[in-house]
Amino acid sequence: MRILLVEDDPKQLMPLKTVLTQAGHGVDGVKDGETAQKLLIDKDYDLLIVDWMLPRLSGLNLCSQYRAAGKSAPILMITAKDTSADKVSGLDAGADDYLVKPIDIPEFMARVRALRRRSPLWQGDMLCLEDLQLHLDTLIAERQGAAVSLSGREFQLLEYFMRHPRQVLTRNQIEQAVWEWGAEPESNAMTVLVRKLRRRLQVVGAADWIETIYSMGYRLSPPEIS
Amino acid sequence: MFNHSRRNLARWFTLSMGSILVVFAGIVYYVEVQDKLKGLDRLLYDKASVMAASVQYDLRQSPSNVDLNHVPLLGSGSHPLDKELAYARWYTAQGQVTRFFGAPPPERLAVGPGFLTVQLADPLTAEEIWLRQATLPIKGRSEILGYLQIAAPLTEVQDGFFQFRLVLTFAVPVALGFIGLTGWLLGGAAMQPIRQAYQQLQRFTADASHELRSPLSAILTNAQVGLLSTPEDEPSHESLRNIVDSAKSMSALVNNLLLLARHQGRLAPESLKLVNLNVLLKDLAAQFTKLAAEQNLTLTYELSKLPIEVQADPDLLLQALENLLANACKYTPAHGVIHLRLVGHINWAIIQVVDTGIGIPEADLPHIFDRFYRVDTQRTLESGGFGLGLAIAQQMVKAHGGQIRVASTVSKGSTFQVELPLKPHYSELL
Repeated sequence: MRILLVEDDPKQLMPLKTVLTQAGHGVDGVKDGETAQKLLIDKDYDLLIVDWMLPRLSGLNLCSQYRAAGKSAPILMITAKDTSADKVSGLDAGADDYLVKPIDIPEFMARVRALRRRSPLWQGDMLCLEDLQLHLDTLIAERQGAAVSLSGREFQLLEYFMRHPRQVLTRNQIEQAVWEWGAEPESNAMTVLVRKLRRRLQVVGAADWIETIYSMGYRLSPPEIS
Repeated sequence: MFNHSRRNLARWFTLSMGSILVVFAGIVYYVEVQDKLKGLDRLLYDKASVMAASVQYDLRQSPSNVDLNHVPLLGSGSHPLDKELAYARWYTAQGQVTRFFGAPPPERLAVGPGFLTVQLADPLTAEEIWLRQATLPIKGRSEILGYLQIAAPLTEVQDGFFQFRLVLTFAVPVALGFIGLTGWLLGGAAMQPIRQAYQQLQRFTADASHELRSPLSAILTNAQVGLLSTPEDEPSHESLRNIVDSAKSMSALVNNLLLLARHQGRLAPESLKLVNLNVLLKDLAAQFTKLAAEQNLTLTYELSKLPIEVQADPDLLLQALENLLANACKYTPAHGVIHLRLVGHINWAIIQVVDTGIGIPEADLPHIFDRFYRVDTQRTLESGGFGLGLAIAQQMVKAHGGQIRVASTVSKGSTFQVELPLKPHYSELL
């Protein structure tokens, strides 16, 4: 999942980003509301995790503006404001879930999983394409009894491919989906990543599923099972 | 909440000042009546003296031979003293009427000497009129010659009283209205600093909440993330585990303290809902049955058959009852029994938490609701308590206008009883 994490306290932002990345999500972490607002114009996210009290633009306003723009990705609000009146205003502003600090990581991750289940793209705890299965919680790809464990970024790439099968995905699209905002990948980083993923998929015999479309990008074309 | 206090203040002010006003008006009226009557009595006495002066008698003859011929009104010559008198009567020393003027008198003297207010039907108009009557013994040189009884109508005096009462009937309510208005304004003025202090406290708790939770959250999250990436056999794993535990218990403490700080005093009536205690307790019992079973305890409950409803904040009420049940579970050894009971009383809903636990020593009983008080420091530290659970329970129950009692015998068990007003303090608040 592409997640936008907005939290002004770096001591809180970093560990949350770490756990989310370890769980195989692509996370963009920003420290203020305005930057988040700009990012939301450019990129689509599957989940927003927003702190209420943010410099420049509050998380509450960010939520209501996001909803006013007609976007529907779930929003998890994290905040130290704990009265039930606060919760009401938070949820009314457009948040789908509300978590009071201090954040307990297992609970936090469970809520993220719960929100993912609400996403229209969710199809269970694994993605299936023909006979290839991708386990979203364990980052394991499985096919015909063979399984391979993927790194975070390999997983994100494969997830992105599997969500858009048989489509030509441009290098720019892939970059947006897999690399964090502000972290420009090196010129050959994508080539390296695709090569790594192919090598992993060899284990399950699906390496040749990823096609290179010259000067455009890549495509995941699974063989039709007759 | 402030409007309610302001109304209360204004009401008490009006009530107290109003009672003072009414009592004062009553005293003034009474003094005025006494004064007027005294004046009339003096007048009657003077007239009677003039009449008595005209009584002639012969010293050598018996006292019954009194010559009344020259007495004004009574005498044969009838030279009216004035027209103000309603009647005049002469009774002999034995109380037998001999002469009279005005309304026909009773044959015998019925009253003793002195002043009296009497009612008389006017013989012409049959109208009831009030009279002030004086009965005076007239003395000769040594013995009583007879009794002179005269009476004057009270009409004029009564008119005066009536007007005075009329003025009071209008003036007192108007003054009461002004007092009420003043009370309301004064109440508003008195509320101002309280409102400010309250708002400051609210802001302080909100700020404190944020400032305490943010670093706690950072500690907890970082430690938990560290824990996730540290294998269990590494020594730092244990340290991280301790940090996580401490951060969690610190966070519980902060929550409890904020809860106590936020809900001081009675709850605002607008934040209360009608809560069905039967449903609330049934859910609570279900929740704790599992917890009790894990500790080899039996939880039973017995709820009133009639639905019992109170005005309450369900979250806060639940918090109080949870604390009591958690305590019961904590201090009851394995195979013990915890019993939850709900009964309705005339004006009270009574919830009892009865356990067969270790009990509370008598010396500790008066203190168990104090903040940070622990009966047995060693044991509570082990079970991770702060000594705030009962303080919270008591404050939450009090915030609902109820009270909490405890009875306990060491090694037999304890009974905590929560009493909540049915339709609590609602009529009182309005």
